[in-house]
Amino acid sequence: MKKKLTLGSVLRFLFLGFFVAISVGPLLWVIMSSFKTNKEILSNAFALPSSWAPVGYKAALEMAPIGTFYKNSIIISVVSTVLNVVVVSMAAYVLARHKFRGNTFIVLLLSMSMLIPTASLLMPIYKIMTALKLLNTRTALILVYAALGLPTSLFLFRSYFQGIPKELEEAAYIDGAGFFRTFFTIVFPLAKPGLATGAILQFLTSWNEFMFALILTSDTSVRTLPLALNYFTSQFSFNYTAMFAALTMVILPSIIVYAVLQEQITSSMVDGAVKG
Amino acid sequence: MKVKRWKLAAFLLPCLLLFALIYLIPLGMVFGSSFFEWKAGGVFNFIGLDNYINAFTNDPRMITALKNTVIWVLMQSTIHVGLGTIIAFMLARKMRGWKVLRTIYMFPNVVSAAALGVIFLNVFNPKYGLINSFISQITGNDFVKNWFFDQNSAFITVTWSWLLYTGMIIIIVLAALLAIPEDVLEAARIDGATEMQLNLQVKLPLIRTTLGTCVIVAATSMLREFELIYLTTQGGPGDLTINLPLYLYKTSMTDNNYGYANMMGVVLIVAGVITVYSINKLFRMNESDY
Repeated sequence: MKKKLTLGSVLRFLFLGFFVAISVGPLLWVIMSSFKTNKEILSNAFALPSSWAPVGYKAALEMAPIGTFYKNSIIISVVSTVLNVVVVSMAAYVLARHKFRGNTFIVLLLSMSMLIPTASLLMPIYKIMTALKLLNTRTALILVYAALGLPTSLFLFRSYFQGIPKELEEAAYIDGAGFFRTFFTIVFPLAKPGLATGAILQFLTSWNEFMFALILTSDTSVRTLPLALNYFTSQFSFNYTAMFAALTMVILPSIIVYAVLQEQITSSMVDGAVKG
Repeated sequence: MKVKRWKLAAFLLPCLLLFALIYLIPLGMVFGSSFFEWKAGGVFNFIGLDNYINAFTNDPRMITALKNTVIWVLMQSTIHVGLGTIIAFMLARKMRGWKVLRTIYMFPNVVSAAALGVIFLNVFNPKYGLINSFISQITGNDFVKNWFFDQNSAFITVTWSWLLYTGMIIIIVLAALLAIPEDVLEAARIDGATEMQLNLQVKLPLIRTTLGTCVIVAATSMLREFELIYLTTQGGPGDLTINLPLYLYKTSMTDNNYGYANMMGVVLIVAGVITVYSINKLFRMNESDY
């Protein structure tokens, strides 16, 4: 069956094409510009670079400790994800499985955090971290990030635990396994798909967060990748090539990881939005 | 199976501690100190509702920030969600390449918002930016416009950086559309429904609660928006593009006017609760059709 070329299909093509252009265009332009010289960047935005030598990348790496930013981002994102998954899954398990007085109250209390625009808590969190002497440490960001994902993780995990048949745990109890062992050796492995969804979302939140990183840290030795960009715009104001190279080094890994893991990431995002 | 209470408590405690540290105590501080004059250097006086009265009668910046925030919430809830939904309906026909398109539309959403801000700062740069070069190329004349810092274009340029990037809405709506059982659609087709009727009268009502979720996601994202403004216009020129989170940041971190900043925090929280509650009502999110 050959489709006819109708006005409708042409319009649809243009409509979808426009959004492709504004989505990919700027990214491709950034990557292309990272190989151009300053002069080439200023003279023609669309011309291809005259050479593909990574001059800008060398300059960017010399001018800013991008490696350190990467290291910090990885440490903070991984630790906050582990912390979030372990701490929230334990609570979600109790809230999903065990009836006790105050259960509903705790669920309601914790779900309150979903309604709060986090910017509103900026100043108290800054004061608390100052009081705990955690200002300008990775620990501060790890704690804040683990909490940012708390409501989403809680609802994802709780509904996942509710879907696991009770019989398996009961069998474990009969075999003499205690409460803690049952959770960590039976329930936790069974809930892996649900936990993975929460972990992916938590990792993305931590990896991309900017505002708390900006206010809670000040030294390059503990700052994360999103802040590196803040640093570039002022540092590299006259070396456009290096700035574009730095930008590319920040965006390209995210895009590649997304392209590779897109099925899992996409379904996690949908689950997180719908259930969370 | 009866589990000892202390074991349950031990499992709940870490989560509750984290919640208390990052949400509950800060929340108490925000509400409590919004009634105080609290500034750097130990100034701490109870002033009742003065912060609130000041904000709404005597602070044009607050009014601008509030107005912009509301405008952006409304635009994001309607135009942003609308565009994403239309694109999702188009992709749901599963024409050739629909998965590739879905991936491409998500790119700007998977890149960190901070990176996106710096990218847009370059794209709209007056000297070498993509947009000015594009216009110059087409018209043949040298086109110079400082998009982010020109009175006439700053607001719309900042808005551009989130309004048209609907990847998140697309994947949520698309997932809901693809989950509609085929027999429902088949029944409608047998009854003689055209493709348009199918979309508007069958599919759209069926994904009502999903659309509600999308509107909540979009609206509340505008109550959080910070980095895309901070990294581009910083709220300027003048106060043209300031919003509540940015003003709150400036008040607490630059002016060290903590009580006043926390008053804004209360306004933001109240705005968040009202937004979510009204969208819930509007889309009858708690009722199911099935």
